[in-house]
Amino acid sequence: MYKYDAVDKTIVSDRVEQFRGQVSRHLAGELSAADLAPLRLRNGLYMQIHAHMLRVSIPYGLLSSEQMHALAQVSRQYDKGYGHFTTRQNIQFNWPELADVPDILKDLSNVEMHAIQTSGNCIRNISSDHYAGVATDEIIDPRPYCEIIRQWSTLHPEFYWLPRKFKIAVTGATQDRAAVKFHDIGLEVVHNDANQVGFRVYVGGGLGRTPVIGKVIKEFLPREDILSYCEAILRVYNLHGRRDNKYKARIKILVNAMGIDDFRDEVEAEWAHFKDGELKLHDVDFETMQAFFPKPAYQELESGDERVAKWRDLDDRFKAWYDNNTVDHIQPGYRIVNISLKEHGVAPGDATDSQMDAIANIAEQFSFGEIRVTHEQNLVLADVREQDLLDIWKALDADRLATPNIGSVNDMICCPGLDFCSLANASSISVAKQINEKFEDFEELYNIGEVKLKMSGCMNACGHHHVGHIGILGVDKKGEEWYQLTVGGDASNNAALGTHLGKAIAKDKVSDAIGDILDVYKDLRSDDERLLDTFRRVGIDPFKEKVYSEEV
Amino acid sequence: MATTKTVANRAIKARAKATPDRIQNDILSTKAIVNQQIVGNAIHHVAETEELTSRDLPKGDISVPMNLWLDHKTELQARTGLVAVQIAADEFPEDFADEYADIPMIVLPMVAHIDGRSYSHAYKLRTRFNYKGEIRAIGDVKYDQLSFLTRSGCNAFELPAGENLETALNAFSEMSDVYQPSADGGALIFSRRRAVH
Ligand code: HEM
Ligand code: SF4
Repeated sequence: MYKYDAVDKTIVSDRVEQFRGQVSRHLAGELSAADLAPLRLRNGLYMQIHAHMLRVSIPYGLLSSEQMHALAQVSRQYDKGYGHFTTRQNIQFNWPELADVPDILKDLSNVEMHAIQTSGNCIRNISSDHYAGVATDEIIDPRPYCEIIRQWSTLHPEFYWLPRKFKIAVTGATQDRAAVKFHDIGLEVVHNDANQVGFRVYVGGGLGRTPVIGKVIKEFLPREDILSYCEAILRVYNLHGRRDNKYKARIKILVNAMGIDDFRDEVEAEWAHFKDGELKLHDVDFETMQAFFPKPAYQELESGDERVAKWRDLDDRFKAWYDNNTVDHIQPGYRIVNISLKEHGVAPGDATDSQMDAIANIAEQFSFGEIRVTHEQNLVLADVREQDLLDIWKALDADRLATPNIGSVNDMICCPGLDFCSLANASSISVAKQINEKFEDFEELYNIGEVKLKMSGCMNACGHHHVGHIGILGVDKKGEEWYQLTVGGDASNNAALGTHLGKAIAKDKVSDAIGDILDVYKDLRSDDERLLDTFRRVGIDPFKEKVYSEEV
Repeated sequence: MATTKTVANRAIKARAKATPDRIQNDILSTKAIVNQQIVGNAIHHVAETEELTSRDLPKGDISVPMNLWLDHKTELQARTGLVAVQIAADEFPEDFADEYADIPMIVLPMVAHIDGRSYSHAYKLRTRFNYKGEIRAIGDVKYDQLSFLTRSGCNAFELPAGENLETALNAFSEMSDVYQPSADGGALIFSRRRAVH
């Protein structure tokens, strides 16, 4: 993975000391809380209901074992012994003291981590495919491109005070696991007729209050131009994005207001001023960066392993885990292992300090010391020998990290909701529990198959409910918590927003309604259709009829 | 060079005057930071109002809104003392390309420091219009904005009353390296590494 050189180290440690200065000026009364707020936000520090919340950047979701140990240590030393992995592949600590934060950041800088631009109206952490480098459908490895964009966007002086936050995602595979059409800029790798590598560029996608699917601004952008083209988009946005209303300030609103064609013309005109200047990348830049992401030292192995095959027959729990939580790998004899952070009764995405340490050790022993964070709030060990799967499973299971539910209804994305968030209309974690309890029978879960269930506690959509195969949105009805359901959302290649099922549902009826939706699916599905496919074929009506039929 | 197209919120013909993006009151500070030094200051920055005319102007060194400059250029140029010109956040530097040769100093008034448009204005003035005069940021500009405004092309600042200018000078040395070029002529990190390899 990427290793800091002297420049990276200087920038990160200078930023820690700068932040230390900002906090101490604040504590000394020289910097008002109002003036500190946007500064601390640009270093990942929020003020929440109970305490501060610190969001630490995990660039494109990639972590070393050493970094994972450091995160465990932060949660132990400065927090309540756990951390929360987020949908943008970062980690949050919910209980740090303001005065400790500079020290936390100093500790993290020792393992090449920071919180720069993890919040605030600036360019955020670059997100990507959690199977980068090992996916069977990969065209190119997106990580070098992510790192190049990360460096360019870090403390960019001109784009630190944008109208609103700005998120960039990159995918290098045919199956989009990075939701590029729901980002402010999405980059999807393509080859042109001359077989050169470039990107199809999407702009103006996003969720939140106004969900919008990104539009193509450029069909083929040669890879050497990614920085200059992003800079042109950012400059047009910085100058023309609305600043009078924060709900209309995202680039998606600007693109819709201007129309994609006029927006494109404006960007191209801006780009023409400097496209062949200092920001142009050279082949050697990509080669140098790619060298940070080498293929691990794989052994030459045959596919398949006798012991694993035998235990799959003998032990149903192991079989379930193997079938659901592991994925094919490009290298024969290896598999990708997903670590579920969706254990029943635990807030989705949470991991304790001892779990983090255990994962770091398992990665060290079995997966070249690397871990990835997924935007579905799970973790991935990307390079595991098939022959080690049984040992890994036992090790993960011992720390309650082997819940065999990846991709199932119980593997849901869920925002903090009323429990932690001052903006929430309704609680989401307790509804997650209710759903977990309803679907305790794993055989039944497997029978249902892939269902992406996503839940947000209010229309800010932190839980991405618009793109859930089933989406749940918390709404407030005269002080009571109610839930609006959608069906058919999709964040991947055939991007779609979910269709409304009907009027909101009472809190204690949510899991029953999900059960109804899944019953309809089981009745109507043909062959190996997923819920999403069946919905696309039959539409919303059969689901609607069933869910609302029992009402008086 | 591609032709510049007009976008929805730019109406050059009927330029708005007293928009919320313009400073509402005159600004007159006793001190400024110029080229990273604290210096005395006597420039009177005149706020834009619908009624403002060239007869309302104070004596001595002033900065005036771009609208006033465009309407009364000859008269203003005949004054003794400095006449600097303001470009507000909601104006566009490319609309005044013909003027820069005649303007000795450009002032970027910031109504709210979280509004980043002036950074792009400074960047364009330096890199696209090759403006060599002083570019001064005034208004809601404090310690923590100075470094990035400098990188984007500003070389002078007036801070609100009550801000400690001595402390604010630290802003210029907090960050000792950067990743990307801006108006400061810096190189892209990758081209620096290219040179090493
Ligand atoms: C705990 C308190 C939280 C608060 C107050 C909060 C607040 C918000 C708000 C106001 C927005 C809307 C921004 C907009 O309109 O553009 C938003 C968006 C978002 N939040 Fe949160 N959030 C919180 C926690 C989280 C957590 C824990 C996650 C990750 C699991 C998260 C992930 C997101 C994402 C991904 C979006 C972007 C949706 C989009 O694509 O536009 N948030 N959040
Ligand atoms: S979706 Fe709403 S309730 Fe949930 S974390 Fe975001 S702002 Fe809070």
